Amino acid sequence: MRKVIVVAMREYLASVRTKAFIITIIAMPVMMGGSILAQVLLRDKVDIGDKRIAVLDQSGFLHGAIADAAEQRNATEVYRGAGEDRRQIQPRFVIEAVDDPAGDPARVSLALSERVRKKELFAYLIIEADALHPMNDAAQSTIGYHSDSPTYDDFLEWVRIPLNERIHDVRLRELGLDPVIVSSAMKRAAVRNLGLVSLDEQGRVTEAQETNRVAGVLVPVALMMLMFMVIMVGASPLLQGVLEEKMQRIAEVLLGSMTPFELMSGKLLGSVGVSLSIVGVYMAGAFYALHRSGYGSLFPVDLVVWFVIYQSLAVLLYGSLFMAIGAAVSDMKEAQSVLTPVMFILVAPMFVWFNVIREPGATFAVVLSLIPPATPMLMLVRQAVPPGIPLWQPMAGVILVLLTTAVCVFIAGRVFRVGILMQGQGAKLRDLARWIIHG
Amino acid sequence: MSVVELANVTKTFGKHVAVDRLSFAVPPGSIYGFIGPNGSGKTTTLRMIMRIYHPDGGEGHIRVLGEETLQAANEKIGYLPEERGLYKKMKVRDILAFFAQLKGRRSPRPAIDAWLARMELSSWADKKVEALSKGMAQKVQFIAAVVADPQLVILDEPFSGLDPVNSDRLREAVLSLRGAGATVIFSTHDMAVAERMCDFILMIHKGRKVLDGTLESIQATYGQDTIRVRLEGNHRDLGAIRDVEKVTDFGQLQELRVRHGADTQAVLSALMHRGRLAHFELARPSLHDIFVRIAGADDLSRDREGAVSTASGDSSDSRERGRA
Repeated sequence: MRKVIVVAMREYLASVRTKAFIITIIAMPVMMGGSILAQVLLRDKVDIGDKRIAVLDQSGFLHGAIADAAEQRNATEVYRGAGEDRRQIQPRFVIEAVDDPAGDPARVSLALSERVRKKELFAYLIIEADALHPMNDAAQSTIGYHSDSPTYDDFLEWVRIPLNERIHDVRLRELGLDPVIVSSAMKRAAVRNLGLVSLDEQGRVTEAQETNRVAGVLVPVALMMLMFMVIMVGASPLLQGVLEEKMQRIAEVLLGSMTPFELMSGKLLGSVGVSLSIVGVYMAGAFYALHRSGYGSLFPVDLVVWFVIYQSLAVLLYGSLFMAIGAAVSDMKEAQSVLTPVMFILVAPMFVWFNVIREPGATFAVVLSLIPPATPMLMLVRQAVPPGIPLWQPMAGVILVLLTTAVCVFIAGRVFRVGILMQGQGAKLRDLARWIIHG
Repeated sequence: MSVVELANVTKTFGKHVAVDRLSFAVPPGSIYGFIGPNGSGKTTTLRMIMRIYHPDGGEGHIRVLGEETLQAANEKIGYLPEERGLYKKMKVRDILAFFAQLKGRRSPRPAIDAWLARMELSSWADKKVEALSKGMAQKVQFIAAVVADPQLVILDEPFSGLDPVNSDRLREAVLSLRGAGATVIFSTHDMAVAERMCDFILMIHKGRKVLDGTLESIQATYGQDTIRVRLEGNHRDLGAIRDVEKVTDFGQLQELRVRHGADTQAVLSALMHRGRLAHFELARPSLHDIFVRIAGADDLSRDREGAVSTASGDSSDSRERGRA
């Protein structure tokens, strides 16, 4: 046992002391936080030059509404802050009314297109005469927005509101109805997303809490991503490690001092230690952040305990597979091809998490989360979605993973024992089968 | 009591018999040399002593330091494998501490520093292994094998690839280990080293023991059948001389093997007729000569093949290693 610990310690220090480890431990939050930060920082980095938009209004009563709304927007909405800090953060929309004296809208459209191409205009709008009472064919739009920037839809999104307000207004007046009364009659009712109620100590029914959709999705996804990363960082270096020991002929010295099983156990133990260190850093960070911001009670202690259990088992399971691959192949190139199926199994839960989060109680989700290689990620996701799942399921999951891990370690041990001393070409599938069966 | 005792041990890899009913005993405090052509089973035998390989089942057994299992005696054994290997990214002192801890030493630092000083590696103690030259790495590997003060040291080709200075240093270290009471087993291709250093010599050929004993006892079985001469002038066709069975020309020196019971004075006079004789010595056959006589022509050609295929990374040894 002492030798196992000596190997585990070396393995642990060899991993933790590398630059790669420190980079990984920093890179993960940087990557997650960075994408959010980038969006925040880049939000203001838009082109705030005026966008000139021509309007050919054949109906005769809509361009005024657009021009008025644009003026109002240009005066207020494009700015943020007050006083000294007042800054323009969005482009102003400058509306230019166009006439069609010749009665040939196609010609006007062509002329406007030319102006857009010459950058004199940003876009133009053609409102047909029947815009107020279009045909019953809903697909046939009677208002056309023409631009050379199909991905920029800010104006399009914005103009819909003043246009439709004016159209509704005119229609209601034609029918002799007061738009104010109608709009209050048509006001939509809000539907709140609430949790369940129960009885408190005084026997009164509690108030239902507003559910937090962000927390409901974000926490499980974040935990799953962390699990994936921890498995990758904890288990995959074992492949390179074993390959190094094999190619550098270190294995023979080691096996002169201990059994292959002791060597393998030590390496696995070291890797579990590495993965626990990573999780320790993140969890401590999360706890500190929540505690500082006054949400200390929100720290999901029971989830973290489950996380650590699943994580340790997953590192053992995948780690033993990675070690077996390292022992069976002869170089990194060969390892890559054998690695692909294992990586697929590891990544597979990423393809189904969305459905699992939406309906964590569905049979489909229960079954998937009980497939051992997927359990560490999917069971955790299901547990993290409020209100959680029956206790027997994670229990059964852990037992199944434990059994699978035992089988994997056994098989990997057999492959490892023979493969680690083998030089020259890698093992064929038939050789592997023989090693596993005959030992 | 013998330090290592093999009785009737056989090891096969698939259909290939690597070691065939091998028996020998290593007396305590001796330097025991393994010789034999490439692929003869030397490394396999050493690995079986180290319990890296397990012999085929049957009546054979291996006893090391009186124990039948790896665990019991392992910490008293130091091992330098033929293929050297160190973690490249580790510092010299750290890797030595790691190997010493694997052999059960809790505070190996003083021993490590003493050995580093002795092998003139002190200034490299905090350097990474990847910065070492090949010879230095080999010395570090040797220290790794002996730093835990083993009772039994097993060295597979310890001298290969070392320059004369380092080779001498290593030889002194090996002799001092024996002086401290350890038993040393090493394999070598260098017959001169085996002749000069070993108390006992074991030769394995095709997995079988062909020689076992002290150098004297081995040479005695062949008698004084060798004449070493340095002949100035024509030293071609010396084989034509009566009673000369074989001629080995070393360039400056010629070695003649004469028929058993031949008259060496007659050979001397025949030589004197051919030219000026600068050196004449009646000798026992060298270990080299004995080796070549046993291994024979077919094995020498296989030897060369072995050298070629080692370069391409697929020696017969690597095939052996493939299946345990």
